[in-house]
Amino acid sequence: MVISLKDGAKLISVSVICFCAVFVCTFMLNFYLDLSSISGISDGKILAVYNAQLSTAKITSALAGGFLGLIAVLMTFFYIKIYIDSHSKQLGILKALGYGNFRLAIHFWVFGLSVFIGCIAGYAGGFIAMPYVYEGLAVNGIPAVEINFHWQLLLGLVFAPPFAFLFISFGYAAIALKRNLGDLLGAKVLSQKIKPVSKSYKERSFLADMCIKTISSKKLIVFFVAFSCFCYSAMVQMGFSMKTMNASLMGVFILLIGLVLAFTCMIMSVTSLINANRKNVAIMKTFGYKPAEYAVAVFAGYTPFALLGFAIGTVYQYGLLKLMVNLIFADVGEMPVYKFDVALFFITLLTFIALYAITVFLFSIRLLKVSVKEVMI
Amino acid sequence: MLEAKNIFKSFNNGNVRVLKDVCLDIAEGDFTVILGASGSGKSTLMSIISGLERPDSGTVTYNGIQLTALKDKELTDFRRKYVGFIFQQYYLLPHLSVENNVRLGADLAGNRNYKNIIKSVGLEDKCKNRPFELSGGEQQRVCIARALAKQPKILFLDEPTGALDEQTGRSVLDYIVKLKNLEGFTMVMVTHNQNIAEMADTVVKMNSGGITEVYKNSSIKSAYEIGW
Repeated sequence: MVISLKDGAKLISVSVICFCAVFVCTFMLNFYLDLSSISGISDGKILAVYNAQLSTAKITSALAGGFLGLIAVLMTFFYIKIYIDSHSKQLGILKALGYGNFRLAIHFWVFGLSVFIGCIAGYAGGFIAMPYVYEGLAVNGIPAVEINFHWQLLLGLVFAPPFAFLFISFGYAAIALKRNLGDLLGAKVLSQKIKPVSKSYKERSFLADMCIKTISSKKLIVFFVAFSCFCYSAMVQMGFSMKTMNASLMGVFILLIGLVLAFTCMIMSVTSLINANRKNVAIMKTFGYKPAEYAVAVFAGYTPFALLGFAIGTVYQYGLLKLMVNLIFADVGEMPVYKFDVALFFITLLTFIALYAITVFLFSIRLLKVSVKEVMI
Repeated sequence: MLEAKNIFKSFNNGNVRVLKDVCLDIAEGDFTVILGASGSGKSTLMSIISGLERPDSGTVTYNGIQLTALKDKELTDFRRKYVGFIFQQYYLLPHLSVENNVRLGADLAGNRNYKNIIKSVGLEDKCKNRPFELSGGEQQRVCIARALAKQPKILFLDEPTGALDEQTGRSVLDYIVKLKNLEGFTMVMVTHNQNIAEMADTVVKMNSGGITEVYKNSSIKSAYEIGW
């Protein structure tokens, strides 16, 4: 078998994202189902709060499940592509021996395992957090909501996603494996599509061009770097803003999930970036380039996208909170006041810059360990 | 100029002894071929005398600089200032144009004249192409241009014609030797091809991790006169 269980376990970031998504969905959807079973509220004001809580649970679950689910799918595609690229010779040999695309793609089911691990851990975590969430969301006037087990949630949040990912992995792998055999085996010249020389070709220094080409050759990493910074910006600011809206517990959850997502995505992106550039760094080292120079060539191009992600995150969290306040609390008399927190923004920005710089610095040290012998083998 | 004394090198915690008490002198401006079969230790010796790798014991000295005593940072500086490399597998950066692959070397030396070097290897019309758009011979010429654009004092070549057909191999060798004679740099080539040794000033024969013979060629042949 080409793909081992160990390879599947490498998708730890997919597991973490699935954990976060299922963690939130478990307690929010459980709360939604338990709350919706309550009837007999006649007071108009209390009914409005009751409806607001139902909407909050629905919107939060939809956002966490949908958005993070999509990210997990993208990340799985990314891993499958990297796997095929880095094992192209072995896969090419198998194809040359007569294995078809579908027969090889079936082995990619292993990648669905990481989703199962994340989902089951998220479901368990959600149940552990549930009493605290129910307590935090309790409102005077609404009868106490009791925790009940809903089998449909177990099915939908623990067993359905891994099956979906199993098919997604298989389908994507089957498409990605539709490569020319010569391409997989490394006989690149004849099989690669030769693009015409760009008319916008500009003369640049080697390091400047290396920066740009590192980005353009790994576009999905740009997305994940920006997403990581988006998560940090949006969820740190949103987490702290929840305190002013009397939802501290939710704020803590949002903050923790945001930090976990941001760091997972950033570490995955930077690790992939280093692995993709090992040979380039080795040849630069051989020629006498210094550590700061190859760190710039590999990482510097991503900084504008990191800042862009941070900016979008800030706008997103402000817009979302404003929208939620207006939509959910529209019918409630005591609408919480929400204003953009300038001080919080600057504190988040400063910590972001510091953490980003530290991460890049720490991973630059890993570039130092790339052996110049890699080019001699 | 370049002197290696009592070099020992082993791998696998000393279980595989690759170089055993190797001593070697290379004169300035000389074209030296290190000749040996696969596994004789010639590539390891080249890695050590070029500052890519450290020996277990012994010294390597280049114009009074003891490479074996240098720290990693200083070795990087040494390679930056003095050394050029040409590899059998080219190792061009696949996403960069021919021009920027050459600039990898040129920018290090502050060499703004790199376009002339691209022209001199006959690739001026392919400046903007990327490596996979070129034939093997053209890729090796980019590799040569990259190494020369760095204006090295000493050029190391590891089986530079190993991946080329006879005709392309001969023209590449001919070109390298002409440039060497024009620029006057020192050249050390590792090869298993006995015929190429006839082009060198000095031949160093290796076998089982040791030097078995060193001799000077009385008559030097061109790339088109040697067998293949």
